[in-house]
Amino acid sequence: MKYSQKFGLLLLLSLILAFALAGCSNESDADSENSGEQVEIKLGYYSSGSADEKMEELIDQFEEKHPNIKVTTQNAPYSQFFQKLDTQIAGNNAPDVWLSDGVLVSKYAERGAAKDVTDWIERDLNKDEYYGLDFNKDATGKYFAVPQGIQIGALFYNKDMFDEAGVDYPDDTWTWDQLQETAERLTIDANGKRATDDGFNSDAVNQYGMTFFNITEGWMPVLKSYGGGVLDEELKNSVIDSKENKEAMKWMVEGMQKGVLTDPSDLQSFQSPMSPFPSGTAAMRIGIYARVLAANETGINYDVTVLPKGPDGKRFAPVIANSWIVNNNSSDEKAEAAWEWVKFWVTEDEVQKEWAELGEAVPVKKSVANSDLFLNSGDNKINKQAFLDSFEFAGTLDTNAVWSEWLQKFNDNINRAFLNETSIEEALQQADKEVTKVLDDFYKE
Amino acid sequence: MPKLVDRVKPLKNRRRKKLSAEGRWGFLMVSPYLIQFVVFLSFPLAASLYFSFSKYDMLNAPKWIGVENYTTLIQDPVFHKALWNTFYFTILFVPAQTILALVLAVALNQSLKGLKFFRIAHFIPVICSWTVVLYVADAILNPRFGLANTILAKLGSNPQAWLGDEALIIPVLVAVAVWKGVGYMMIIFLAGLQNVPEDLYEAAEIEGAGVWKKFRHVTVPLISGTTFLVLVLTTITTFQSFEQIYVMTSHLGDVTSAGGPNNASMVLMLYLFQQGFSFLKMGYASAIAWVLFIILFGITMIQLKLQKKWVYYEK
Repeated sequence: MKYSQKFGLLLLLSLILAFALAGCSNESDADSENSGEQVEIKLGYYSSGSADEKMEELIDQFEEKHPNIKVTTQNAPYSQFFQKLDTQIAGNNAPDVWLSDGVLVSKYAERGAAKDVTDWIERDLNKDEYYGLDFNKDATGKYFAVPQGIQIGALFYNKDMFDEAGVDYPDDTWTWDQLQETAERLTIDANGKRATDDGFNSDAVNQYGMTFFNITEGWMPVLKSYGGGVLDEELKNSVIDSKENKEAMKWMVEGMQKGVLTDPSDLQSFQSPMSPFPSGTAAMRIGIYARVLAANETGINYDVTVLPKGPDGKRFAPVIANSWIVNNNSSDEKAEAAWEWVKFWVTEDEVQKEWAELGEAVPVKKSVANSDLFLNSGDNKINKQAFLDSFEFAGTLDTNAVWSEWLQKFNDNINRAFLNETSIEEALQQADKEVTKVLDDFYKE
Repeated sequence: MPKLVDRVKPLKNRRRKKLSAEGRWGFLMVSPYLIQFVVFLSFPLAASLYFSFSKYDMLNAPKWIGVENYTTLIQDPVFHKALWNTFYFTILFVPAQTILALVLAVALNQSLKGLKFFRIAHFIPVICSWTVVLYVADAILNPRFGLANTILAKLGSNPQAWLGDEALIIPVLVAVAVWKGVGYMMIIFLAGLQNVPEDLYEAAEIEGAGVWKKFRHVTVPLISGTTFLVLVLTTITTFQSFEQIYVMTSHLGDVTSAGGPNNASMVLMLYLFQQGFSFLKMGYASAIAWVLFIILFGITMIQLKLQKKWVYYEK
């Protein structure tokens, strides 16, 4: 018995060892091949339909320009991509360079998975030529990513609905209060009554003055232009329970109670919380640049302008800078090759132009963004300059390493205020408590 | 007692020798399974147990923190809610689906024309993905355009936010889950029913038993083995239910919004997924997994114990 048990165990162990060795030897083979001029890098990006083809094309161009670098790709739909990426980072076989959602850059940077590219940026890029570099800078001034394309928020409005109500289009003089006053005249119930009429039924709205959803295209721009926000400058402490936030919340809750802004339960009627504006059920929305695609597709008659001012004249445009991250665990050789790709992406006019033609994001290179190619592209001529003007007062969504986690806590609480289940004061106090706990768990060890 | 030792020793030697010769081959033959077991089961199990006692974000090495994850878990209000919701879901779902599946199976266990059509019709939801079910459910549950609220309006009642109401969401999710899952359990019951010998019914009829008595005293005891299987399977899958809630309560696949409103539909598996994969708290998620395992193990043990009281096996 004993002998055979030992034998079995030995056999088992040797097989496992053989497996492990087989795994290792592959790796080292690959490394030794690369010891010459040739470098092979893995590039990861999340799919977005038609854009995939263009991405492959640009990679081919890159390989032509850099014959010593071979690029293999890895892509998947958004949520699968990031799940896989996290597991790959854990297993130390993540791509050498990957495309990160702008809101997730800090998640990787603060946990040591993203390479500090400050020196390379100083060496190779003229920072004034690009939009959005600073949105990836941490509190100590280090850079951990380079933007691939930028999403920035502006005010979208449906011109037909404005014309029908006989009100002027929004412009850069608007305040949030003015927006809500106008929105009342644009809100129509099932009986055709407007929110300004007697007998208007706020429980059966057919056309909303403005659709309002979540952080980027909902509460964050309002909070910030009222002088509030969620985190302090260091992005490690909550500033939720403030006078400014209360004022901003009052504006939102009032609008929802009047039926002028969509509340979270109104959005349940739609297949997607993004659809009220493009489907012609809302007269206005806060929208990032990518929303142009859906609006063009449904063919509504719309335009954009900058977001309104807060009571003290402050403005805020939310920014999501989707960015290239270089893997902190890649060998120096691969990291340098990965950086070549990043450099190729942002500096080459051709690349920037071809990507801009897809119309999914504001180009990173200012010269391309300010050219006709971006500003006057497409059949639907809208005021794209508004997106560029918004960079002057743009900011991130208080993104840090635990962004998704505090966001969930914050949303849970303020949604209850939106649905009138709790008071604004209580919602903010509770959110402050819960968000503080999330932050302290991560930052105060 | 030298005699006994003498008698035992040679036997033992003989056995050992024989086994070691055959054992080699034996182990070789079962090695694919053993390797599979070690690599894909024992190792991950041991690792997750270790992670549950550490702080682990996947991107950096785990750090041992003792029982902290478990003590946090005990004080975590969302975990309490998820635990309660999971039990609540199970208590509604398991009896509802089991009884309905049995009723359907009995109804469809006849020799009538067109029976196949109905059997297939009840099975179709089983093979649909949850995303498809979501669209079907939306046709009924949509607060503005759905069938349910249209009917309520005709009856003069107020419309309901079916998936947006904290009190309604679990019963509504259970109803949809029963609709989707009942066909599968119905098939298992049908198989059980077809094993009940006809002559027992005939004998019962001669004794003067009516429809109900035949069902109660012949069918129920004879398919109790099947019923037990259905109950165990349903309980386990319910505790692990994830996909339905993930799909039906999240906006645009954003998992951080799933489980709403206000965590009213947060269940253990979803909470585990969120903590582990969305928030990178793998240690904490592992602790949740082990608590879930202990609960499931306990419930299955109780079911096994109780089965002696009501499950009949043919001798």
